[in-house]
Amino acid sequence: MSQIDNEKMCESNVTEEFERQPVPKSSLLGFKSFIGMYAGEHCAGTELMIGPLFVAAGVSAFDVVIGLLLGNALAVMSWMFLCAPIATRTRLTLYYQLEKICGRWLVILYNLANGIMFCFLAGAMITVSATAVGVWFNFPMPELSDVYPNSVGWVLAVAAVGALISVVAAFGYQTVSKFANIAAPWMVLVFLAFGLIGLRQFITASGAEVGSFGDAWTLAKTHIWKGGDPLPGQVKFTFWHITFFAWFCNMAMHIGMSDLSIFRFAKKSWYGIAASSGMYVGHFMAWLSASILYAYQLHLDPADTAVLPGPLAYRAAGIAGIICVIVAGWTTANPTIYRAGLAFQAIIPKCSRFTVTLITGAIATIAAMFPYFAMKLLGFVALYGLILMPMGAVIFVDFWLIKKFGLQSSYAEVSKTSFNWAAFLAWVVPVSVCVWLFKAGILEIYFVSLPGWFLAAILYILISMIYQKKIRPQINPKQES
Amino acid sequence: MKMIAQILSWISLVVLMVPSVLFLAGKMSSLDQVKWVMLLATIFWFVTAPLWMWKESD
Repeated sequence: MSQIDNEKMCESNVTEEFERQPVPKSSLLGFKSFIGMYAGEHCAGTELMIGPLFVAAGVSAFDVVIGLLLGNALAVMSWMFLCAPIATRTRLTLYYQLEKICGRWLVILYNLANGIMFCFLAGAMITVSATAVGVWFNFPMPELSDVYPNSVGWVLAVAAVGALISVVAAFGYQTVSKFANIAAPWMVLVFLAFGLIGLRQFITASGAEVGSFGDAWTLAKTHIWKGGDPLPGQVKFTFWHITFFAWFCNMAMHIGMSDLSIFRFAKKSWYGIAASSGMYVGHFMAWLSASILYAYQLHLDPADTAVLPGPLAYRAAGIAGIICVIVAGWTTANPTIYRAGLAFQAIIPKCSRFTVTLITGAIATIAAMFPYFAMKLLGFVALYGLILMPMGAVIFVDFWLIKKFGLQSSYAEVSKTSFNWAAFLAWVVPVSVCVWLFKAGILEIYFVSLPGWFLAAILYILISMIYQKKIRPQINPKQES
Repeated sequence: MKMIAQILSWISLVVLMVPSVLFLAGKMSSLDQVKWVMLLATIFWFVTAPLWMWKESD
């Protein structure tokens, strides 16, 4: 899964300078900057959980390979055709764009939701790193179905890793960000090595003769991604689950428009295609590699269902693999905690960023102690996208459609309101309906965001018609742009 | 100096990958050897890459 935001750009002085104004031409970045950033960012610690969880969900070879190819293509297109065109036209951050549409208080509420989701995501990343510690200290580690921490050793390992990451994040993560840039090329290749080594282990263990692509595909179908029933407690994943998961796991970033803050630096909107580097390196190669390692573990012992990136990586690549797990978890958890801290600090500006980040890190660390969040990462990632997605629909409608209905765009700014109720309802109602659809068993969490986006878009237009014209007419129509 | 560091670090990435490719091809049978070479390449990368990448990240 992905890493939230793009520390390279967000941390730079350039971004700080243009928080409340469009990025000028002189500060635009070339295509290569986006390729490198996305490739590094989407090779995170959580990829080592997601790949194995696909296997636990009983995917077949065709479903996982073709589903990922299609789902990632849809994700890239979402960046390219939904997010980047608005970003390169407005050249504003997501938060400033939202403030213009929704008003300051609604943005604060959005920040709160964002911060909470970041906390749990960072928790999953800390969990990944802590599994590497377990290889050295050999304490009992969580099983696939565990909800609560199952040993003192596990709690202490998570606490130590979480404390370290939180303190570093509280001091600012520029150094870690630089280290992450250095680690990225190495980490991508270690992920690839995981897959190659795992493949050989399968060939040896199964006694298969692999001399052509056809042989390799047969091995994949019959031994690695065999399909069939999922492991107990897991949801069965089909082709459509994989496709939608790959498409929506970064929904907050593309359809949810979080990456407006990134692509406002792009010279052209087609630079959105640069996201394919992250998708096909991190969300294709890395997921498949990690899933091969887990499938091999199950091949050796079908009762050994624990999804533990540390031992998986150690078995394949030794100490280099362990270092990869720690680095992948650490370099991605760190900015996530930092950004969650920033989101919370916007709500309580009087509290120092240092204190807020430490408290945020503590919450993430406590979450990490509960293996439930990491073991249910597939569902959590889908929920994360669902909660933040409607604001993307609001931005899309506000930018492209709202004037066609005779309504005002950037309504909060123009009408000087600090809380746009139309945007609030277009956010909360679709999320509530989608959660109800999911809870009622009508539609699974992995698919529910698609109708949710259309619902949010339609609601924003309909409620704006009433809100802008009847309830809160514009104070000064001359301000219309 | 920067160019030497750059060349050495790229070589370390090649060395990192070669054993896993050879292992897959069945040309290298010992997984322990693969792991050791990967560890050495890792150390080499993290020693040489910061020499030119750290400043570039500024």
